[in-house]
Amino acid sequence: MSALARVCDSLEAQARFVEEQIHRARDEPKFRAGLLKRWKAIRASIATVKTPTGLALPSLALPTSTDPGEIARYLFGEGFPGEFPFVNSIYREMYLPAAGGRTPEEPTRLFAGLGLAEDTNERFHYLTKHQRSIRLSTAFDGPTLYGLDSDADGVFGKIGEGGVAIDTVEDMERLYDRFSLGDERLSVSMTINGPAPILLAMYVAAARRRFGAKAVGKLRGTVQADILKEVQAQNEIIFPLEASLRFLADMVAHTTEHLPRWYPISISGYHIGEAGATPVQQAAYTLSNGFTYVELFRQHGLAVDRFGPRLSFFLDCGLDIEYVALARVCRKLWAIGMRDVFGAGEAAQRFKLHTQTSGRSLIALGFKNNLTRTAIELFLAYLNSTNSCHSNSADEPFTTPSEEYVRLAANAQSILLEETGLFRHTMNLFTGSPGMRILEEALEKAILEEFRTIDRLGGVLAATEQRYQRSQIQGAAHLYEQQTGDGTRPMIGLNRYPNSTESFLEPKVLRTPRSRKQLQADRLRKFKHRHRQKSGRALDELTRVVESGGNVFTELLKTVECCSLGQITGRLFDVVGRFRPSV
Amino acid sequence: MAASVRLLTAVPICDGHDSAISTINLEFIHHGMEVVYLGYHRSARDIVRAAIQEGVDAIGISSYNAGHIEFFAEVVALLKKRKAADIGVFGGGGGTITKADAAIMQRKGVDRIFFAGTPMEEMIRFVRQAYGKRQRRGVRLPRFAARKAKVAAPCIGITGPGGAGKTTLIDELVLRWLKTQPNARIAILSHDPSIVGKGALLGDRATMIYSQDDRVFMRSLATRGRAGGLSPETAPWVRAMKQGEFDVVFVETVGIGQEAMPFRAKWVDKSIFVMSADYGSQLQLQKIAMLDVADMVVVNKGDLAGALTAVAEVGRRIERGRNGQRVIATVAKRHRDPGVDRLFEELRS
Repeated sequence: MSALARVCDSLEAQARFVEEQIHRARDEPKFRAGLLKRWKAIRASIATVKTPTGLALPSLALPTSTDPGEIARYLFGEGFPGEFPFVNSIYREMYLPAAGGRTPEEPTRLFAGLGLAEDTNERFHYLTKHQRSIRLSTAFDGPTLYGLDSDADGVFGKIGEGGVAIDTVEDMERLYDRFSLGDERLSVSMTINGPAPILLAMYVAAARRRFGAKAVGKLRGTVQADILKEVQAQNEIIFPLEASLRFLADMVAHTTEHLPRWYPISISGYHIGEAGATPVQQAAYTLSNGFTYVELFRQHGLAVDRFGPRLSFFLDCGLDIEYVALARVCRKLWAIGMRDVFGAGEAAQRFKLHTQTSGRSLIALGFKNNLTRTAIELFLAYLNSTNSCHSNSADEPFTTPSEEYVRLAANAQSILLEETGLFRHTMNLFTGSPGMRILEEALEKAILEEFRTIDRLGGVLAATEQRYQRSQIQGAAHLYEQQTGDGTRPMIGLNRYPNSTESFLEPKVLRTPRSRKQLQADRLRKFKHRHRQKSGRALDELTRVVESGGNVFTELLKTVECCSLGQITGRLFDVVGRFRPSV
Repeated sequence: MAASVRLLTAVPICDGHDSAISTINLEFIHHGMEVVYLGYHRSARDIVRAAIQEGVDAIGISSYNAGHIEFFAEVVALLKKRKAADIGVFGGGGGTITKADAAIMQRKGVDRIFFAGTPMEEMIRFVRQAYGKRQRRGVRLPRFAARKAKVAAPCIGITGPGGAGKTTLIDELVLRWLKTQPNARIAILSHDPSIVGKGALLGDRATMIYSQDDRVFMRSLATRGRAGGLSPETAPWVRAMKQGEFDVVFVETVGIGQEAMPFRAKWVDKSIFVMSADYGSQLQLQKIAMLDVADMVVVNKGDLAGALTAVAEVGRRIERGRNGQRVIATVAKRHRDPGVDRLFEELRS
């Protein structure tokens, strides 16, 4: 039986188990007594907090029902915050101060990437000026995303556009200059997939150059490296799937061993959602991809409790009603699947989630309305207890975000978390309503149906090869277009009240000047020239490791010292081939 | 009947946003146009080469990842350099191309940029008016300098059901030809079905990544109502390609089922029937008439469960038929697949 079929069965078994506990709580006096005793202790452990206006409230909102069955439903079906199956959250305290009074790390993650490495570096310093903890999120330009050098044929116009241009380990040093790599309070996220192992190798090498070998073990952060969703939705895969997955497994093997605080993959529904998938499709494909990676890494001899805690997820949050509870359901399904199908311990059952507000929900026309859209999506993301969050800039539909709108987007998070009382005093203020429960049940059922379909197609890899997810996403995207076109999906300023918003002003667009692009190409050429003696041998050694089945990532840590991104991908194309798209 | 307009569409290099262009392609086809789709992440060189080889009226580019001013300009300049400035260029990019950018691009020779929210009808009307009444060239092949005396190139006909992997297989063979023979030139004639009463989506180039090369000439034909997996234009193209100073010519039919071999004997020197290992039952196998006449049978997707049985069954089936046929098992999607290597050696000898 495929893993996905077993996941479905375990979810159904868990539902039966919860029903049984509810009956026992109602019918078996001894069981009920134990349960109520535990419930009393839990209630007593909840601290009381005072709001600025002096109102006293519990720091966690628990169900108020005294029916033992309902209490059992909560404890077994949802789980106390931080407890299986983690519907409410994966940690006991989310945005509240912990017992010792330690302020939690800010969940705000700021995405940036423009021009050359030093331009993005400057932006990073500007954005994090006032942050206690520094969480950088890096966007790369097109050539980097596709593993091409800045001096490759025909890419000149794309250098530093839409993201930062990185060709070499030296660029990587410039990118995070004056940040203390390896510091406890710094974490770095890189949105890179096809060539992710090469970019991470550059990052590790840059940290080693600047802060010594000791810093490497302390590095915190993540690379996206989600190859399956690239094939299904985003098209930024460069090597054939099989080779890509092998490079990924090698990277995961290395980081779990040597970078214990690194998250080597961010299993992403975001791009699936942005490509047009419905929220249910997004959740179903993301989770099933996740289970597929778990199977794959286990086949590579890795223990689920070693790598499991280092998997993280990335979801989209838009304005559709599903987003009120989508991540809650995902947490539950992941925990049950990991525990019951893969025998994972608690740390690996936790669905660690980064959320980004929906870029697709934003439109250029009357773009200041996007501030409101993003604010509502942010609320939904935190309602779902996301562990970190990026809020989009209102000007994103037409340009690399300007400083002004990036700042406003970050401020929106501070306003929500720090200014309003919504997430500051009482945790789970909004959960447990009948509406939310109905939604959770409907979502779970629909996601399970998708799992069953994928299983019938032969599992995730077979379905991906048959272009199942891709065509489903395209179908959903087509419907979305139709609905915006005929107005059944209202978008203010686009298909409704078009005159009520300001007319479309030509916005200021950020572009990388020609001279900067030339600088990047020039210094890359110098790097190649400087290392011309060594690079050929390093690439031969890399080839040998790929062909002999050794750990490619470990070798890349050496290769990047003297080879550029394009030199490395160029050689790997010869050895393992290129990704072949299907139409 | 010739299509009203023949277009090439693509997404620029380092850009994977193919959702808009996929929708637009379907609209074009729906309005009777033939669209050669090159796919995403394509260089200006690839686009211009394909546009010239395919004899299109215009190129449509959908660009979302910035750098559009340079990219479109590069396409226009390359067309001019290759003496193909009569091929039009138009495009769009959602909200990423500003009005000011569009003005610059149009000054540099782009015919038209469409902005977000343009109704499809407007785009169709523009394409028809701007490119609809062009005089299309007939068969025209590139002339190569300093080539050996004219010998007719061997022609390999490849047919089989849809989804068996014909396109991938040809591309893998082309890669081997290009690698092992530094001077080899290859021609490919590919076929895709026309949709009844409408245009056609000619999508093989998007999958044939290694064949987008200066040493490869490829032409995509739509069946335009012709049964049997070929086109009314097939004959003149095969004739020209065989005399066109190439080292080998591949002719790929559209995906067809069990009927008789579509190639005329005088065209092809070797015919290959490509089938997937999951063809179904033995009874199905008996019904495939082409197994009796193909010079070679390739059982692709050899990584599927049951592939070994499939190869054995096909082998037995063929033994009962004509003498001297060969069966080769391949996994064309796998890089450096030994089965494809074997096929390549057979074809070259």
